[in-house]
Amino acid sequence: MSQGILSIHAKPPRSLVVILSWFLFGAGILAYFYTAEVRHRENPEDRVTPTAKQMAQGMFDAALKPAEEDEQTDASQSFVNRFLSSMLWKDTKATSKRFGIAMVLLLPAVMLGLHMGLFPYIGAFFLRFVLFFDKIVALSLLPILFIAFGIDELSKIMLIVIGVTPTIILDAFNLTKGVPNEQVVKAFTLGAADFDVAYRVVLKQIWPRVLNSIRLNLKAVMLFLFAGEMIASTDGLAYRIALLRRHMGMDVIIPYVLWVAVLLFLVDLSMRMLNKWLHPWFREA
Amino acid sequence: MISIDNISMAYGSPPRTVLDRIDLEIEEGEFVCVLGQTGCGKSTLLRLILGSEQPTSGRVLIDGKEHKQPDRMRGYVPQKYSLFPDRTVLDNITFGPELCEFRLLSRFTPAYYRRRNELREEAMGYLRRIGLRATDAKKYPDQLSGGMQQRVAIAQALMTSPRILLMDEAFSALDPATRRGMQALIRDLWQSIGKTILFVTHNTHEAVHLATRVIVLAKDNPEHGSRIALDLKVPETVHEDDIAHLVRKLEAASQESDSVASPNEEGSPQSAAVRVG
Repeated sequence: MSQGILSIHAKPPRSLVVILSWFLFGAGILAYFYTAEVRHRENPEDRVTPTAKQMAQGMFDAALKPAEEDEQTDASQSFVNRFLSSMLWKDTKATSKRFGIAMVLLLPAVMLGLHMGLFPYIGAFFLRFVLFFDKIVALSLLPILFIAFGIDELSKIMLIVIGVTPTIILDAFNLTKGVPNEQVVKAFTLGAADFDVAYRVVLKQIWPRVLNSIRLNLKAVMLFLFAGEMIASTDGLAYRIALLRRHMGMDVIIPYVLWVAVLLFLVDLSMRMLNKWLHPWFREA
Repeated sequence: MISIDNISMAYGSPPRTVLDRIDLEIEEGEFVCVLGQTGCGKSTLLRLILGSEQPTSGRVLIDGKEHKQPDRMRGYVPQKYSLFPDRTVLDNITFGPELCEFRLLSRFTPAYYRRRNELREEAMGYLRRIGLRATDAKKYPDQLSGGMQQRVAIAQALMTSPRILLMDEAFSALDPATRRGMQALIRDLWQSIGKTILFVTHNTHEAVHLATRVIVLAKDNPEHGSRIALDLKVPETVHEDDIAHLVRKLEAASQESDSVASPNEEGSPQSAAVRVG
């Protein structure tokens, strides 16, 4: 049996695994700063690849200075107060609020999927429609949503709901169908009623997998949210990125993109930890 | 107690008959094993008695009444997926009584905690009886071996005091040693609690060792559904030679089904229960 690096049976040492897993990060950062250095040597006014110092300054300004459209704050205020009235905080808060509302609106989708999977009449009523709805490209509905709901918050939230809920409904439906029939029959023999089976047996069993499914759809949620913010918004992380694009403000755009990635990573991590804490019995496949 | 009145069961389109005009009476306190080859409809018969499936024709009566959905009267121990994976062993055992006794709001009353403690003590009693340790109570099902899981499933089913216990190949996935232990356990439990047990198996030795009565399902024609090929009373005490004889007889009935006479004919297998002893 071969033990080479392309062998299925290879067992790389832990230290090598750590090095390998960070390698691409390091290589990417080095490649970027090398390119930035070369471009700045050729043109000191280059704005496409800001240097580390420029990005740090851009992020510092974003995190401690208010947005251009807001009133300027007193520089003598405390660090916390300056941060709380900063552009970065204002944008993060606006995007997080929309993101949070969208996540809450996914819960009815889970419940609908559960009921569709358990109750044949509800399944018959909704399944075909949801399957069709799932195939509609949500972004193509954007003009319709802006016409129907205006360019306020509602249209952006609706874009996320339309884009992600069919997937979550179908995931919850399939997970419900995947619960062995023996468990349902067993629950009835123990004295459960229909809704006991739904909420005390099936929902509890599918919930960790549903959370995983939502986790895997976080990027889709963000994608639809960013599309809405970029087209019609006066605040939010995507609004700021779109705005800065007009001024070639790459010194802020790049840190903003990384900030969004960090935020999503933290949401994902906290959902994973929550899942583990709430469902100690659950073993991921 | 259980009257199976001329039931037939067919699946699919075009319909494929699995069970064909079965008539059966099971008395209270009997330990009945249903035996037969794979695909002969043993589990279907159990599900019809359980009420999780409805026959194409005929009726299943329990104390003269039709019960068309599974309920607390009939405990169920399937071959797998017996336990709820999200509950600990103790929670699995107490789940039945908790379902019936506690509504959502009753959880905020002192009476709830009092009664829950009583149920937990009762469950611990069952746990000891089925040979598990107190430390196993807090484990999740996937932390138990297959045999332990089935022991817990039996305790879970008995906790709601069903009148009938339906076991579908409950020991099939276990290794021989564990299986023998489980057979002894279920036999002891049956002798002490006196429930009616219907036990589906394809293992002839298991059927002879466990049951007071063995029913063999077999097809008299591959195109037809299964019928009762043999209905055999097993005496309380049997010698080793008699066991070998019984096993041969049962295996012959389940394998050589072509020679089985139609139940409508005189001296049909259903009417001629064989008493050995």
